[in-house]
Amino acid sequence: MIEVENLTKTYAGFRAVQGISFHVDKGEIVGFLGPNGAGKSTTMKVLAGYLPPTDGKISIAGFDVVTDSIEVRKRIGYMPENVPLYTDMRVNEFLSFRAELKKVARRKIKDRVESVKQLCSLKDVENKIIGTLSKGYRQRVGLADAMVHDPDLLILDEPTIGLDPNQIRAVRDLIKDLGKHHTILLSTHILSEVELTCGRVLVINHGRIEASDTPANLTKLVRGGGSIVLEVKAPSADVVSKIKALPDIEDVEITLPSEGEWTQARIFAKPGVDVRENIYGVVRKSDWPLRELSRVKATLEEAFVELTQD
Amino acid sequence: MAFWTLYKRELNSYFQSAVAYIVLFVSALAQGLLFWWLTGQIRDANYKDQSVMQIFFNFPLLWMILFIQVPLITMRVFSEEFKLGTIEMLLTAPVTEWDVVLAKFFGSLTFFLVLWLPIVLDLTALQLFSNPEPPIYWSQIGMTALTITLVGGFYVSLGIFSSVLTKNQIIAGALCFVFIFGVFCISLQKWVAHLDSATLDRISYVSLLEHIQNAVLGIYDSRPVVLYVSVTAFMLLLTKSILEGRRLRS
Repeated sequence: MIEVENLTKTYAGFRAVQGISFHVDKGEIVGFLGPNGAGKSTTMKVLAGYLPPTDGKISIAGFDVVTDSIEVRKRIGYMPENVPLYTDMRVNEFLSFRAELKKVARRKIKDRVESVKQLCSLKDVENKIIGTLSKGYRQRVGLADAMVHDPDLLILDEPTIGLDPNQIRAVRDLIKDLGKHHTILLSTHILSEVELTCGRVLVINHGRIEASDTPANLTKLVRGGGSIVLEVKAPSADVVSKIKALPDIEDVEITLPSEGEWTQARIFAKPGVDVRENIYGVVRKSDWPLRELSRVKATLEEAFVELTQD
Repeated sequence: MAFWTLYKRELNSYFQSAVAYIVLFVSALAQGLLFWWLTGQIRDANYKDQSVMQIFFNFPLLWMILFIQVPLITMRVFSEEFKLGTIEMLLTAPVTEWDVVLAKFFGSLTFFLVLWLPIVLDLTALQLFSNPEPPIYWSQIGMTALTITLVGGFYVSLGIFSSVLTKNQIIAGALCFVFIFGVFCISLQKWVAHLDSATLDRISYVSLLEHIQNAVLGIYDSRPVVLYVSVTAFMLLLTKSILEGRRLRS
């Protein structure tokens, strides 16, 4: 659905996006992650045909973004960051206007507007002036606008920013639902959202793609995909030296040195190796009283921090 | 198709803003008062050489209403879109820059012409209450309306051009005022500056007051038509280029 080759975007000498390449297949929900200023919004603006690329080739649904811009725009539903809307229009009026602008057949406009209002739960504000709506409603009007022409591809720039937890949940469910029939590219800072909705994550930093994988695989990248917590009644130095002597152990950190005589350690093993059995062997041989031996899965947050921190 | 959708939206947005009604009220009042005062003068002086229309439309003060009308109509057209960020939403829909520029231009021009409708009422009233009833010359009315439309189109294109330059409405309005004032001042050279007749002749080609003088007599002159259509088209082309350029720079 999206093919990006070597996209570069320069603003007044500053390279916001530096030669990135990626592709998104039909039916995927792809999350676009990255710190502020990483180039997410710029990339999305280029994809939506608002900004022309400085260099590189982008095609969406087989059409070139630069030379076939109008064809591309017909197939995209784009929701910009901060959701700019005409504040003097009523919700119904605005959605019909946008549907007409996006070349929805005249006889279908009413049905389409009705169905996106239903999807985004806008029925109770349909006759209100957009300027009087709360942030959450405006966000949903923006989402309804993006979907009103039933596009193949939705590009959503931070669709849940500024919403309360209930609204975030509602939007997340909506996106998941939409993902059944649409291809979606969304950017967000909320990592749990990505874990729950996206099949794949693109991590971008300093205008470059740092990683592209499923959320589960990304977390595996973080120091073996997780760590093991061990809490025993033994001197810290003993614990470190004995555990480190085991095979496949990369690092041992003491997290709680001396609560009485108890020591808590965090153990990092090589990727894909389960060392819990060996650790238990050491504990038994040394005859340490054991309070905890558990595995902690790495979170996407840790993966994000590791990938984007300099 | 996109043009019509945008044109309707543009026109609707005028009738939904309070500013539009204030402009409409103030210009109707100004035109009406001027008309009332001039007809009074004509009656008192028992003036018979010229028709009421001639005196009214040749009166320079009438055209100064344009200095207020046009900036107020056009200052928001692009500035507001830039300020609210809605330009991004607008230009990511399947529309071309031409669709947007032309819709905004014709929307503003239409509203501009609405502002001149009260004059039709003033003239109709005069016609109805005059005794004996004066003759109606359609060629004069048609040519005057054409000239107002052409001049309005040019001034509106200057206003739209000003608006595409900045996201600040006040600056856009002020720029527009300066442009229109500058263009209008060419017409005033005749009275203000001491110029030789050759220069005055050349100035008369681009002088609004000269154009309207012929128009109210019902004389069709193709030169001003070509002039206004071409400068308006040029301003719209510039506006479209700047709109594209802004997108490239932003």
